Amino acid sequence: MRRIARWATVTGTLVALATFGAACGSSDQGSTTASQGTPVDTVAQGVRGGKVTVLAAGDVDFVDPGQTYYAFGYMIDYAVMRPLYSFAPGTLETAQNDLAAGPPVLSDGGRTVTVTLRPDVRYAPPVDRAVTAQDVKYAIERAFSANVPNGYAFNYFSVIEGTPKEPTDGVKPISGLETPDDQTLVFRLKTKESGTLVAALVMPITMPVPPEYAKPFDAENPSTYDQHVAFTGPYMIPNDAKTGKITGRQPGKSIELVRNPNWDAKTDYRPAYLDGITIREGNTDAGVSSRRILQGSGLMQGDNAPPAPTIKQAVQRYPDQLQFVPALGPRYVSLNTSIPPFDDVNVRKAVNAVFDRTAMRLTRGGAIIGDIAWGYLPPGFPGFAESGGLKPPAEFDYLQDPDGDAALAAEYMKKAGFPSGKYTGDAKLLTAAINIAPGSQTAAVAQNQFEKLGFELNFRSLSPETMTTKFCGTPKAKVAICTNVATSADFVDPEALLKPYFYGPAITPSNNANWSELDDPKIDAAMDAASALPPGDERVNAWADVNKQIVGSAAAVPWIWDKTPLIASKDVQSLGNAYLTSWDLSFTSLKP
Amino acid sequence: MGAYVVRRLLWLIVVLTAISLVTFVIFYVLPSSDPVLLRAGKNPSPEVVQSITHTLGLDRPWYVQYGKYMERLVLHLDLGHSYQNDASVRHLLWDRLPATLALAFGAMVLWLLIGIPLGIFSAMRHRRAGDRAAMGVSLLLISAPVYWLGLVALYVFSKDIGKLPWLEGADTYPTHGTIFTNPGEVVPSLILPWIVLAISFAAIYARFVRGSLVEVMREDYIRTARAKGLPERTVVLKHGMRAAMTPVVTILGLDLGILLGGAILVETVFNVPGIGRLAYDSIQTSDLPMIQGTVLVGAFFIVVLTLVVDLAYAFLDPRVRYR
Amino acid sequence: MNASAETLLDVRDLRVSFATPDGVVQAVDGVSFSVAPGRTLGIVGESGSGKSAAVATVMGLTRGARNVTIAGEVRFGARDLLGAGEEELRRLRGNEIAMVFQDPMSSLHPLFRVGDQLVEAVRAHQAIGRRAARIRAQDMLGLAGVPEPGRRMEAYPHELSGGLRQRVMIAMALVNEPRLLIADEPTTALDVTVQAQILELLARLRDELGMAMVLVTHDLGVVAQVADDVAVMYAGRIVETGPGRPLFLLPQHPYTWGLLRSMPRLDGPRDAWPVPIAGRPPSPIAPPSGCRFHPRCPYALAQCSAIDPVLQPAGDGTQRAACILPAPVRQAARP
Repeated sequence: MRRIARWATVTGTLVALATFGAACGSSDQGSTTASQGTPVDTVAQGVRGGKVTVLAAGDVDFVDPGQTYYAFGYMIDYAVMRPLYSFAPGTLETAQNDLAAGPPVLSDGGRTVTVTLRPDVRYAPPVDRAVTAQDVKYAIERAFSANVPNGYAFNYFSVIEGTPKEPTDGVKPISGLETPDDQTLVFRLKTKESGTLVAALVMPITMPVPPEYAKPFDAENPSTYDQHVAFTGPYMIPNDAKTGKITGRQPGKSIELVRNPNWDAKTDYRPAYLDGITIREGNTDAGVSSRRILQGSGLMQGDNAPPAPTIKQAVQRYPDQLQFVPALGPRYVSLNTSIPPFDDVNVRKAVNAVFDRTAMRLTRGGAIIGDIAWGYLPPGFPGFAESGGLKPPAEFDYLQDPDGDAALAAEYMKKAGFPSGKYTGDAKLLTAAINIAPGSQTAAVAQNQFEKLGFELNFRSLSPETMTTKFCGTPKAKVAICTNVATSADFVDPEALLKPYFYGPAITPSNNANWSELDDPKIDAAMDAASALPPGDERVNAWADVNKQIVGSAAAVPWIWDKTPLIASKDVQSLGNAYLTSWDLSFTSLKP
Repeated sequence: MGAYVVRRLLWLIVVLTAISLVTFVIFYVLPSSDPVLLRAGKNPSPEVVQSITHTLGLDRPWYVQYGKYMERLVLHLDLGHSYQNDASVRHLLWDRLPATLALAFGAMVLWLLIGIPLGIFSAMRHRRAGDRAAMGVSLLLISAPVYWLGLVALYVFSKDIGKLPWLEGADTYPTHGTIFTNPGEVVPSLILPWIVLAISFAAIYARFVRGSLVEVMREDYIRTARAKGLPERTVVLKHGMRAAMTPVVTILGLDLGILLGGAILVETVFNVPGIGRLAYDSIQTSDLPMIQGTVLVGAFFIVVLTLVVDLAYAFLDPRVRYR
Repeated sequence: MNASAETLLDVRDLRVSFATPDGVVQAVDGVSFSVAPGRTLGIVGESGSGKSAAVATVMGLTRGARNVTIAGEVRFGARDLLGAGEEELRRLRGNEIAMVFQDPMSSLHPLFRVGDQLVEAVRAHQAIGRRAARIRAQDMLGLAGVPEPGRRMEAYPHELSGGLRQRVMIAMALVNEPRLLIADEPTTALDVTVQAQILELLARLRDELGMAMVLVTHDLGVVAQVADDVAVMYAGRIVETGPGRPLFLLPQHPYTWGLLRSMPRLDGPRDAWPVPIAGRPPSPIAPPSGCRFHPRCPYALAQCSAIDPVLQPAGDGTQRAACILPAPVRQAARP
């Protein structure tokens, strides 16, 4: 008993130190260290009031927190709703307590996770009451129903006891979620592997949904809650005061954000300077919209990154209006380890060695757009430093030279049984590439690299969806090379970037994400072990090691840890949020 | 004549049905991407994929899906539910229609005001310097891609990013109101799009009017008009244009019909929230019900306007009579 | 046919040429004729003889053509038509000088009602109100032999028969009581029976209105019925002129003989076939040397290819012909 209790306390402390922010409320955020541009200390200089317009190309996928999954949706949703934990701009190292009053506490050997909620967070009208633990419980339960199709609930939250095997017809209670009182939420897990679950508590699934209000909407299939969302964040979308039906959203056109009258600044770490935000959609021409933002006033970027020439121009002429946030994952070229000759690790190492990754990076904008990558955990991510940081460890000789090392490549080819140092077989390697810029240009450079080694490519230029669903994501298609792979972590834990993409058992006949079809028992076992560890330094180190093993298998050619450029008008100041990979609306203000 | 109109309207229904079927089959048999995955998000668990597929009815054979679609359409005038926008297709189409109407009709007025006089001017200076200059310029404008023209217009004239900031630029269409309810904001936002759209059409119409008028002026009845002692202006503008305009009206109807289906390029570059942009967005996201909806709207307008043009033709040319 | 104070229309040495990519087309090459008030001149010739171009030029209708050169003199009363301004000519057209064309189907505007076209003709030159103009137009239609003129006013040209259409055209030309009517092949496009009616109408109206008329045709039969004087044109020139009767009884030019021989005649022997003129009309760009008709003339002499004859008095003194055949030869040769 005592041992467990001590362990619980120790674990609890570890959790607190490693992953979760100690302080809540608006203590010093300090300045953000963006890689370009002047550091902005918005807390000190933020001006209350005013409005800003966000220029977006597309629409949010959903406002319903149970359904939303795309980055642009996150930019809006995290300003209008509050999950249990969330990330403030500027860092991915520590998550803030949001709805939660403190970090999650592990007990019972890790099989129980307890989160205590703040009592003083209220919903906007018409729900207009305090948020309770039952609301978060319901939010998670509804994500397992067929009425609210949630893409990741089954992946990350199935470890909770009582979760169904497939989407339920209507919202059903989950026995493993307990609420002994209004402020306490207890997760009872099937195993001790709480690491994934705990890290995933930052996802929108934990944004509260009031059951008595939402039930009639969730009875429909598909649920109509998306048109009646209840808001807890500093902002809200205008709605009907009686029915809660959202009025401030015109699909495909615009979304209005106004202040949530029931939001209490004392309960939140967010400053929320602006009085209102308008999102205008349909601005598909990035050239036009980025110019308007840079030259205009009161504008900021939504989901449409400026094209490379504009970024260069911004660096020179508008440095104060530009910030970079690191992407939540690397970009790489995958090599299908089940298709010869890529089933030979020496061939794969040769490919890695010959690749001119600097040239690849140039297609996206050159050095300002990111660092040459050698692994699968990007800078700022837990496990990055532990893996070795920016420079690849010496054991990976094939990744030492970012411009490519032809001699080394030839040597590896010889080891693979090609005495000439080049590929002499007659296989035509099916290659799936993206057909839109800049990905198409990157793919062209990638093709050159392969040809340097004498490979002949059956090059297919495809739309992003086709590439993902019909080619790379379908093992039967036998795609040998996917040139435009970009992964993005759902939550801030190395497992999110490594397991879905390199774990043997993760290979599925359709919607497969492990495009390298890497199926190495040793690496799989290491992943299982790392998965089982509770959050903390040990877990991070274990995953860092897995990272290095994957690099050692040369199952892909990582080439950039890129940064997302964010631009705003000269009279707008904001902070880029690394988790949202966008501007953080709650940290935006007009300049004084 | 009445029987003729009725027959044409029945034909309209046949055409729309055929088009809906073809669109359906295209998107079912050759889908560019999976709407289920677009709804489910990245790396969805297979159970969720199956669940969404079932909810959307996509696991049924295509003819069953088509049958259900037609049933909803015919009985309830329900065009389905947009996957991406989470709203009824009919509602969205209705919402976007005013912008497209305003854009199309405004441009049409402008291009007629420019193109017709230019065509007449050219015809009357047939083969001389004025004609060559006008036709040369119009050839240039016809060849210029509309999207490029739009970008040039923005970079030159738009208030926020143009060198000569005289006109409202892209994305200035107000969030609320239409040209009827909120003209003060809608009209300025449409001036550049009108000009860009009108320029390419004006050039085409100038050439067309010129050609038609040159032909007509060779006719014997023009000689008679002059022999009657009518002033040359009357000969050209009354006798000449009256005859030259009938083929122009046919083309006008067709062009208008196509534009009412959505001027995709202009709507996209200027971010005018019309049916064209809706079509573009829905193709990007493989939102099949929405695509069906926009295609049907486009087809509807083309067929209706063809009918209108044919009836107008009978009205304009008394030698043509329909039975 | 002397120029006298009585002459209404006097054309002297009219030359009309068009510059084309293939060369200069000399459509009218020195044509002179005159018409006295109340008299009818018939101008006869094959297509391409220049007859239509000549009369069109009188009205000023060839001015707008591309690359046209007009020379000579055209006087209408005291007025110089060739030198007149466009506005002055416009006031004359449809008013003092009117023209009727060959094909009434294509010569009437297909999209305007017949009545409206007539009213337009009236109001172009008379400052009278709509109603009065309509009455005038209707009256004219009646005069032109159109039955139920009130109803016909509302018709479109394509709703009328060929004969009716031509009556409309004539009514339209005469509605302002011109002093001179030029009719260019007015019956060519019509049935034979209708032809006779139209000619009769023209003659009657001419007499009723006391106007002069120039009737251009390729059909000698037409001319015989209506014309007081005849001019025969060939290759842009007048080759023979004279009063109608003598010309038919005693033609003086081989071309005229050819024309007469090529006409079917009721009063000839039963088995006498019409004899066409051998050969084809000359190219207007490169006409033959000397007499233009000589390649087709069965009576051509050696000199005919070198000498370009001018109109000389011939026959009974009222006739003139452009031919160097000595008179006795002509006497013997003619049909």
